[in-house]
Amino acid sequence: MIIKTTELKRSFEVGSETVEAIKGINLEVQAGEFLAITGPSGSGKTTLMNIIGCLDTPTSGEYFLNNKLVNELNENELAGIRNKEIGFVFQSFHLLAKNSALDNVLLPMKYAGTNIDEATVRAKHVLDQVGLSDRMNHGPTELSGGQQQRVAIARAMVNKPSILFADEPTGNLDSKTEGEVMGLFKELNEDGQTIIVITHEKNIANQSKRIINIKDGLIESDTRI
Amino acid sequence: MLFKESLISAISSIRSNSVRSFLTSLAIIIGTAAVIAVIGIGSSAEKALEASIDDLGGRTLYVAPGQNRRGAVTKGIIPLDIKDAEALANYKEHDWEISPTITRNRQVKYGNANINQRIGAYLPIHFGVRGYELESGRLFDEDDNLGRKRVVVLGSKIPSELKTIAGNLLNKEILIAGTSYKVIGILKEEGSTGWQNPDEELYIPLLTGAQRVFGTPNVDSINVGISNDQNVDEIMMSIEQILRAKHDIGPGQDNDFRISDYSQFADLRRQATGIFTLLIAAIAGISLVVGGIGVMNIMLVSVTERTREIGLRKALGATHSAIMLQFVVEAILLCIIGGLIGLFIGIGILWICATLFDWPFALPIGAMIGSITFSAMVGLFFGIWPAKKAAKLDPATSLRYE
Repeated sequence: MIIKTTELKRSFEVGSETVEAIKGINLEVQAGEFLAITGPSGSGKTTLMNIIGCLDTPTSGEYFLNNKLVNELNENELAGIRNKEIGFVFQSFHLLAKNSALDNVLLPMKYAGTNIDEATVRAKHVLDQVGLSDRMNHGPTELSGGQQQRVAIARAMVNKPSILFADEPTGNLDSKTEGEVMGLFKELNEDGQTIIVITHEKNIANQSKRIINIKDGLIESDTRI
Repeated sequence: MLFKESLISAISSIRSNSVRSFLTSLAIIIGTAAVIAVIGIGSSAEKALEASIDDLGGRTLYVAPGQNRRGAVTKGIIPLDIKDAEALANYKEHDWEISPTITRNRQVKYGNANINQRIGAYLPIHFGVRGYELESGRLFDEDDNLGRKRVVVLGSKIPSELKTIAGNLLNKEILIAGTSYKVIGILKEEGSTGWQNPDEELYIPLLTGAQRVFGTPNVDSINVGISNDQNVDEIMMSIEQILRAKHDIGPGQDNDFRISDYSQFADLRRQATGIFTLLIAAIAGISLVVGGIGVMNIMLVSVTERTREIGLRKALGATHSAIMLQFVVEAILLCIIGGLIGLFIGIGILWICATLFDWPFALPIGAMIGSITFSAMVGLFFGIWPAKKAAKLDPATSLRYE
């Protein structure tokens, strides 16, 4: 089991009020799943992703990642988990604008302390996997939206994470490149990569194998396709 | 590898905001330039001073008429005269060179040129004591002095003052205070020692001067040249005894002459230069600290601007210390670059001053290393807070920061 949460809750202080964004989520994810988390904005799906992605910690409840209790780890241990166990793909790509595609992909390995020669070989390999071996010395401004997102996917994959998170990965793409990116996810999943996509678009969610719908901070439905 | 990444990121950040970076480090630039220039100028001026003292050949004591008033009975001042100098010269206990001097301004004429110039009457040994060298002709000697000959040796700038060239003046007659003198020699350029300019003086034998030009045996001063291994206090005591006896000064009465030590002046001047240097260096140091505050300010702006980037780096696994390192390195780099620019400007100013005032030019290595190190420390000190602020950012919120 890769992910197991029990009664996960997260509340925020907004002024003098306390708002509960998620109100007790129990979720189990097995290795190799292709999961979509959907729900309207304000439903709590982003908060859930932040916690499962170790960007945030729950107010209460337990979160096991690879059978390890995560919510008691300190800031640096969480950074280590984000570095090695989790790969992020964002809606707005989040590439470093002044760095080449290759340098962007190298970044997680720099934080991991990987030897530069090994890191370069691995970065070139994943860039080749996403079909950008001829564009790796180009900066983000010289790449199309679809190409930028593929660089981001290569960056997320380079440390061989347990989970690949994609937060509205096609939100800034046209329908053709959207198809390309989703195709890439399917390929990666067929190779055994666990993928969690957060989206509010039905047709994106429908391309996954399991759809979890969140409403008002709770799981409303859990459907396997 | 992480340090290299931080360095690359810092360079790219500074380069992409080059105008802002330059303005930020301006105070650092000015501060470093001031430190380098002032300390460099201070030590160059001191070296020049030492060189001019060395020129005097050992130490020179300076005896002049006058009184140090100490509240005792004031007796009429007896001027120093040639006889006093002779008394000192005849005292064989010490190995010293006695060189009395009379200098006054007089009219000097040659052809159409008519200038008011300093005339100095000296013993022939004066040239040796001062280390003055001949460009052409000869110096006057003891015969010229004892014979009260009307001969003159010119400082190197005198021919041009007289609107002619050295070659035209040698062995010609010029008029000093209406009397004709033969130019027997012209000196090489000596350069100003800071006391007076030997290039703009006319040199005549002491007795010639006393009798023919100035009409007085009274001298302005008597220079007593001694070697460095002699005891200055003992020498001063001897001079005092001889002159007190000569001037018939009774016990309890004040001297009617003053004995001073050139190297004392030099020490005082060195002290004053040192204090001045320290003062300016302190002000420059304050400018560096003010520069540091500017750097801190711009780093805080930079952290805010790059909130999303920080969020991303954290999402990719950057630890607290990795983010700290990135911003501290950037702050330090900003200060070091400013420091280096300031260093070159400071050296430039120093070089210009050294050339202008004819001082020996030497790089103030200590000040260079010191000011760059200090700049780096300023960067470190003022970079830590913004870097901490960056490292503490929450990754989830900063990723979505607009």
